[in-house]
Amino acid sequence: MTDALTAESLTKRYGRRTALSDCNLSVPAGHVVGLVGPNGAGKSTLLQLACGLLEPTAGRLEVLGVRPVSGSPRVGFVAQDTPVYPGMTVAEHLRLGAHVNPSWDAGFAERRIAQVGLDPTQKAGKLSGGQRAQLALTVAAAKRPDLLLLDEPLAALDPLARRAFLQGLMELTAEGGVSVVMSSHLVADLERVCDHVIVLAASRVRVAGEVDELIGSHHRLTGPRREPDELGHGWAVVEQSHTDAQSTLMVRSTAPIDDPTWKVARVDLEDVVLAYMSESAPHWVLEGQR
Amino acid sequence: MIWLAWRQSRAQVLTVAIVLLAFVIALLVTWGQVADVARDAGLAGCQGGACGAVSRAMFVQVAWVLYYAGTGVLLVLPVLLGTFWGAPMVARELETGTYRFIFSQSVRRDGWLLMKLSIGGGAAALCAGLVSLVLTWWAGPVDRAGGTRIEPLIFTARGLVPIGYAALAFVLGVLIGLVLRRTLVAMAVTLLAVVAVQVGVAVVLPTVLARPVTTISALAPNASFGLSVDHATGEAHVDIDGHVPDGWVLSATAVTSTGVDFHGKADPSCLPSPATPGVTGECLAWVRARHLSQKITYVPESEFWPLQWRGFGVLAVLALGLAGFALWWIRRRLT
Repeated sequence: MTDALTAESLTKRYGRRTALSDCNLSVPAGHVVGLVGPNGAGKSTLLQLACGLLEPTAGRLEVLGVRPVSGSPRVGFVAQDTPVYPGMTVAEHLRLGAHVNPSWDAGFAERRIAQVGLDPTQKAGKLSGGQRAQLALTVAAAKRPDLLLLDEPLAALDPLARRAFLQGLMELTAEGGVSVVMSSHLVADLERVCDHVIVLAASRVRVAGEVDELIGSHHRLTGPRREPDELGHGWAVVEQSHTDAQSTLMVRSTAPIDDPTWKVARVDLEDVVLAYMSESAPHWVLEGQR
Repeated sequence: MIWLAWRQSRAQVLTVAIVLLAFVIALLVTWGQVADVARDAGLAGCQGGACGAVSRAMFVQVAWVLYYAGTGVLLVLPVLLGTFWGAPMVARELETGTYRFIFSQSVRRDGWLLMKLSIGGGAAALCAGLVSLVLTWWAGPVDRAGGTRIEPLIFTARGLVPIGYAALAFVLGVLIGLVLRRTLVAMAVTLLAVVAVQVGVAVVLPTVLARPVTTISALAPNASFGLSVDHATGEAHVDIDGHVPDGWVLSATAVTSTGVDFHGKADPSCLPSPATPGVTGECLAWVRARHLSQKITYVPESEFWPLQWRGFGVLAVLALGLAGFALWWIRRRLT
């Protein structure tokens, strides 16, 4: 099966500012992928490269096996702030979608609009942030893409609208056939729907992989104070902090930790993501990952 | 796509169309008046100077407000179309981010822009064409009486060139909006750019594309002229009041009997002095004794239609060229 997204040394610069540098990724199809990172990490840039709105400065990017071009019927995209035409009604957006997408699923679009409680005669400019996001998601999904890219769709939503949106997204993926890449700077949102995450920070990919695999292979160790160079081998230290008496580490290891002087605790996705996002995360760990 | 382009511009198109239709109806309603005056004043049979009188008579009687308003509308229309239709068309989408919405549908960017350019440019050309057609016909008797339709301002507001100006101004506005990506800035720049194009084309067109006529005739004894004398060198320069009843005057100079431009030391009597302000009789006599002729180069009235076609052609080619550049830009440079 072709990857949903493959990047090799992908780099994007805006003038002198580097938004994405030397990014290597391989995202298998059929997953809901969370793209997480602090503001300005390059999430929007990566998504806009993936839907062909931006051109890479260097490197290679393939989406569903081909170089991305904007206007592809196979890729759906909901941009940040979910832009829609303020002067057009909800129904007119569906009509527009039907006019410009050969693969348009009108029945699905109308069902979904009714389901999320949007009034078809309302102007899109008068919708709340959550309603607008629902409209944008409906238009993007009703073109029946193989890959759906969502750029911070939850940013402007209150907790209730957030839950409704994620619910809608899960229903969509449950119907099958569509891969989703969705960016957010909040891990808690992603944890609910994603089975795959990519952590971006300071324009680089810090870690990428399946959520279960990431949680299973990372451990938090607490024990008597040690110097960094006397740490054991066979695992990689992602994050470390030391007090006079005690050392606390986040390590990645597929083998169990058998040193009895360490107290081992389980971690959750947020712990892992935050550890990779923090500046102290050493590069050599990351380069081993993809 | 057609539906989208129409849906997004229908409010502006209808507004302009209603205003212009009202104007066209006003012209149609007053046509009878123009025809009557032309007949009564004897326009059909007038010759030379008599036509001037006819023209003046018609001007007083005919709905001259409409005459000037019509000419004004066609001069201003391209500026308005470029500024209020063209410039915001793409700039607003880029500024508010809705281009990300439409480009994520199954449409090619250049196809989308081409549709916008065709529909908007076509509507602009149609509006200008309709008004120009009716005005050229309505104002025909007045223009013929005065022989004025070849003059720059009137020429720009008659016949085919308004269509070219309207289409060019629209495409120019779209392109400026596409490159600058800010609605208000694009509108301001477009306004200046369209005016610059109108002035530029009006200056270049007759000198490059017309076949001007040059006449040399003796300076009439009672002809008015201007005399300037350089204080430092004592060089005299004679300015001719170049006016040809039915021509677009490009240049008017004073030449000597051998046909070269007049240069020469001024007679002492022509030098201004506190004792005798103004031009003295002696000085006038000295100028007359030079036997100067006036050399006038102008585009004759008969060149009107050939020049209209050529002007329209140049403007249309410019508009198509800019449209091609905009399509290239949206494919390659919009990232």
